Amino acid sequence: MTAQHNPPAAPEVDLEAAVLSAIASVDDPEYPGVSIVDLGLLEHVEVRNGPVGGTLGVIVGVGLIPTFSGCPALEMIRSDVDRAIRAVAGVDDVSVNWLTSPAWTPDRVSMRGREALARDFTVAVSINNQATRCPRCGAKTTEQSMFGPSRCRGIHRCPNCSETVEVMRG
Amino acid sequence: MSNEAALREFLLAFADDEHLIGQQHTEWIGVAPFLEEDLAFSSIGQDELGHAVLLYELVCEIDGVEPTDAAIDALAYGRSAEEYRSSAFTEFGTTDWAEALVRHWIYDMVEDLRWQLVAESSHAGLASVAVRAQREEAYHRRHAEALIGSLVTTPGRVELERALDTVLALLPSLLAPVAGIEEMVAAGVTAAPLSSKSSDIASQINAAFDGEYEVQVGSGARQERSSAFGPLMARMREVLDLDPDAVW
Repeated sequence: MTAQHNPPAAPEVDLEAAVLSAIASVDDPEYPGVSIVDLGLLEHVEVRNGPVGGTLGVIVGVGLIPTFSGCPALEMIRSDVDRAIRAVAGVDDVSVNWLTSPAWTPDRVSMRGREALARDFTVAVSINNQATRCPRCGAKTTEQSMFGPSRCRGIHRCPNCSETVEVMRG
Repeated sequence: MSNEAALREFLLAFADDEHLIGQQHTEWIGVAPFLEEDLAFSSIGQDELGHAVLLYELVCEIDGVEPTDAAIDALAYGRSAEEYRSSAFTEFGTTDWAEALVRHWIYDMVEDLRWQLVAESSHAGLASVAVRAQREEAYHRRHAEALIGSLVTTPGRVELERALDTVLALLPSLLAPVAGIEEMVAAGVTAAPLSSKSSDIASQINAAFDGEYEVQVGSGARQERSSAFGPLMARMREVLDLDPDAVW
């Protein structure tokens, strides 16, 4: 009998990891290349066995939270997540829902998300009312307008390098 | 009135106000006096429409209807005038920016109080919507207060005072108690009727204008629509009516 170099992990662990990576593959429509998971929109995932069309199958339940309640991209994101999970082998049914709580806050954006937003979009993230830093030069920015090109972004300006900086907020 | 019927009246009044004020704000897109205001009014309007959707979802729950987009649209656009519970304050259409600004300032002052009153609601769904809405209201209020606070010391103050007279005449309709409000207070859905906040609202207005304005509370339980409702609904349904069966 030949030694098995890569013993298969428990299928449910594999499946959960595959579901998580499917969700992470969905980008925010406002920021192509930045995952909704890095933006902190994912609140919970549940992979369980349950009845699917008369037999027992694997059901995935996902709870997402929006950056703000009037976001027009909610249905687009929901269907993107739904489609990504349905493509995972072994998943029989999916239910993706927007939750009313908790409320999204900018500190839910991961370090990787903050780096990508700064590098690719010149967007800074406003954390716990701390001074916002310019993604280009690191100087403290000053607020120009509370409201920007989309509802979840305000407009700042960097007094040092004169860059206009969009700031993601709740 | 059963508690369920009273809750429906209470939620509809709130949802309809949010829906209509959101619509009013969006009508400034592209025509506000300067770019920042264009962005501000459209963003604030978007928030209010978002709140309206969340509140209509709670109405769907009472009606035993799945809160699909079609069900929300049916509540938002598909009712007859007498089934709405909006106030003359939010139905009022204006192309005068001073009136729009003063109304936004007072509406958000009142809306913030409205959410505070339900922040600890016995209705868990409503309380959780309140948590998020209050975060958004902080921006709305900061925006309105900054503008009013700086314009009130300029010659433009005359315009603001004229607008304030118009808006204060409409304010009683916004504070008018809805049918079944006593039941809602007794059930802990809201901590108190909104009408109990009239002196708080008056002092905020008087602090900004250094004035002696009075705030009255209306009656009628929001059973009737003002003359502005018909034209507003026609504007809102303009695209929808072109092809009612269109799939979006």
